[in-house]
Amino acid sequence: GMFAHLEMLEKQAHEAAMKEEAAEQQEKKLSRLKSRVQELRLQRDQLREKVEQQEQPGKEGAASGPAHPSARAVLEWKIKSLKSMLQLFYLTGISGKLTKQGVCFCISTAYEGTYLDFYYLDLLTKPAVRIHRHSIPTFIPLEQISKRFLQTDIRRFLAVLSDHLNAYVGRRHQAEQLQEHFSDQIVGTMQRNSLCNLLLFNYKVLIDKQPFQLSARLLYGDLCSSLPTQVTISSTQDSPTSLAETAAAHSDLLRRVALHKAFPSLLSTQ
Amino acid sequence: DSICQAYEDEIQSLKEEIQLLTEKYEDSQQESTFFSEEAILKSIESFEREFQGESKGHEPPPDLKAELESLETDLSFLMKFVGIQFTSHSKKIIEKTKNRTVQKHRISGTCHSMSFQLEFQLLEMQNKENVCSAVTDLSIVMDSGEDSNVGKFLSSIEERGDILTFFKSLSSYAEWYEHRRCAFQHFK
Repeated sequence: GMFAHLEMLEKQAHEAAMKEEAAEQQEKKLSRLKSRVQELRLQRDQLREKVEQQEQPGKEGAASGPAHPSARAVLEWKIKSLKSMLQLFYLTGISGKLTKQGVCFCISTAYEGTYLDFYYLDLLTKPAVRIHRHSIPTFIPLEQISKRFLQTDIRRFLAVLSDHLNAYVGRRHQAEQLQEHFSDQIVGTMQRNSLCNLLLFNYKVLIDKQPFQLSARLLYGDLCSSLPTQVTISSTQDSPTSLAETAAAHSDLLRRVALHKAFPSLLSTQ
Repeated sequence: DSICQAYEDEIQSLKEEIQLLTEKYEDSQQESTFFSEEAILKSIESFEREFQGESKGHEPPPDLKAELESLETDLSFLMKFVGIQFTSHSKKIIEKTKNRTVQKHRISGTCHSMSFQLEFQLLEMQNKENVCSAVTDLSIVMDSGEDSNVGKFLSSIEERGDILTFFKSLSSYAEWYEHRRCAFQHFK
C-alpha cells in the first residue's frame, strides 16, 4: 500500500508540474504572438501612410525617393523599366528572349479582350532553324506548319502557328463560356474533342410556348477560325414544321455569331 | 488556444497586406522616377568602380551591367522582329488584392512610320489553374490620315478590347501603307 501511495503522489506531482509548464509555455507563446501582431500592425500602418502620401499629387516631388540615389538604385530602376517594356510584347502576341543557342518565343493568345494561354517555342538557330522544345499541344499541326514555313520565313511560321493557337483557344473559350452561363439550357453534357473543333450538345427551346429539345453539331472546318463552317441542328422528337424553320435559323446564326453570344437569341425564338 | 489561432490568422493577413502595400509603393516609386540615358551610363561606371577593389571575402556583386545589356538586346531584337517600337509606357495600380490586380496603362509607339497611343485598364485575375487578363476601357489614337476604314476598324477593336488583333493588323497595315507610300513617291 505505501509504495503504491508514494507512486501515486509522485505521479500527481509530476502531472501538476507538467501542467504548470504547459501553462507557462502557452503564456509565453501568446505574448510572443501578441507582440508580433503589434510589430506587423505598425509596419502595415507606416506603409499605408507612405502609399497615401504617394497618391497625393501635390507632394510628388517630396515622395519620389532619395535626392541622391545610389548607382545601384539607378541601374535597378532601369532594369525594372526594361522588364516592364519587354512585358508589353505579350500584348502583341509575340514576345520572347534570346538564348545562347537561339531564341525562345512566347506566343500569347487572346479571345477578344481576354488574354488566355501562353505557349512556348524554344528555337535553335544554328546550323539551321529548328525547334528544340515547345509547349504546343499535340493536336495543333505544328510539324506541318514548321515543315512549310520554319526554314524560309520565321515570321510567317509564327503568324500561322499563332493563328491556329488563337483560334483553338477562342473555340475552347466559347464552349467554356456556354457551359458556364447556360448550363440550365443545356441537356446532358457537351461533348467536344481536344482541338475543340467539333462540338455536340443538346439544348432546350420554347417554340410557341411548347418545350422542345434540339441537338446541335458544330464543326469548325477552318482551324484558324473560331466560327464553325458547318452547323447541324436536328430534333430528337416528332416535330412540327415550325421546328424545321427554327432549326434552320439557329444553324444560320451559329455560323455567323460566336456560340456563347448567339445562344441567348437561340433560346428566345417565339 | 482559440486566441492563439486568432493572433496567427491576423499575423497571416497582416503579412499579406504588407506585401501588397510594399508592391504598390515600389511600383509607384518606379513610375514617378526617371533617369536619363546619361545618368544610366554614369551609374554603370560608378557601379563598376565601386566593386572593382572590393571583392575580398564579399560575395560578388550582382552583375547589373550584364543584366541591363541582356535586357536591352532582347528588347531591341523583339522591336525589330515584331516590327513594333514602344516609345513610352506608364502604368498605375488602381486596385490590388491577393487574386486581382487592376492597372491602368498608357502606351505609345510606332510601327513602320505609323504612330499609335493606347490607353486601357488591365484586370489580372488569378484563378485555380492560371492567370488571365481582361482588357477594359480601351481607347486607341492613331494618325491614320485619310483612311476612314481605319476609324471603323479602331472602333470595333475598342469595343471588344481586342488589343491582340490591333497589333496583328497594325503590322500588316503599316507595312502595306509604307509600300504604298513608297510606290506613290516613286511615281511623282
